[in-house]
Amino acid sequence: MSENNQMRDVFDAIADPTRRRLIRLLAEAEEKPLHELTAQFPMGRTAVSKHLKILKEAGLVLDRKVGRETRFRLNASPLREVQDWVAFYSKFWRTNMLRLNQLLEEEEE
Amino acid sequence: MSLTLSLDFQFTTSIEKLWSALTDSSKLAKWVMENDFKPVVGHRFQFRTQPFNGWDGIIDGEVLIVDAPNRLSYTWASAGEKHTVTWTLQDLGNGKVNLHLEQTGFSNAQGLEGAKYGWGKWCGELEKLLEQ
Repeated sequence: MSENNQMRDVFDAIADPTRRRLIRLLAEAEEKPLHELTAQFPMGRTAVSKHLKILKEAGLVLDRKVGRETRFRLNASPLREVQDWVAFYSKFWRTNMLRLNQLLEEEEE
Repeated sequence: MSLTLSLDFQFTTSIEKLWSALTDSSKLAKWVMENDFKPVVGHRFQFRTQPFNGWDGIIDGEVLIVDAPNRLSYTWASAGEKHTVTWTLQDLGNGKVNLHLEQTGFSNAQGLEGAKYGWGKWCGELEKLLEQ
């Protein structure tokens, strides 16, 4: 399954407003080059590239080289995980349980 | 459609300590969120976190069941969806305790329409994206 190959958690990837905006922008077009995306943000191309890299690691963005430019497009399928509240809360409680375990261990000391 | 999330966790602790972590407001703040929780049936409480992308960061709940130290249940309403969270604690002996979580609610088809904020709104946009 493709989910298992993701280097980065999709929930982390969409936790940032810039990255959510990038997803929306990419949803509007088949493909967009970096300079077109960068023009939409009050930040430089390096910063936008870093966000795109995170989205790519989460499997949300695909890229390809066309001549000297890199073009990006959306791969929405990992978002199904987010759409599903069961998956959302599963992640939420599992993360919280690590903190609970830590709290209980501190009490034992 | 009704949906249930069911998870089990095991801790090396006493059932009393685990119960306290689930019901004591200051302890809940350390592993869930800031809150005004009290283990009293009928008590209405809030969990609060930083507002996030239009979501107010508030979860409203009402305590339904307090059966110390074995069972605790409350409602959990946020971003247009209402769920029920139920914790069941079981002493396994040898200093181990099993914590069972059940969260039940409805599939987001209904929640999405009523949702005004945050995850609900975001999920609504996702729904459109995924339909493309």
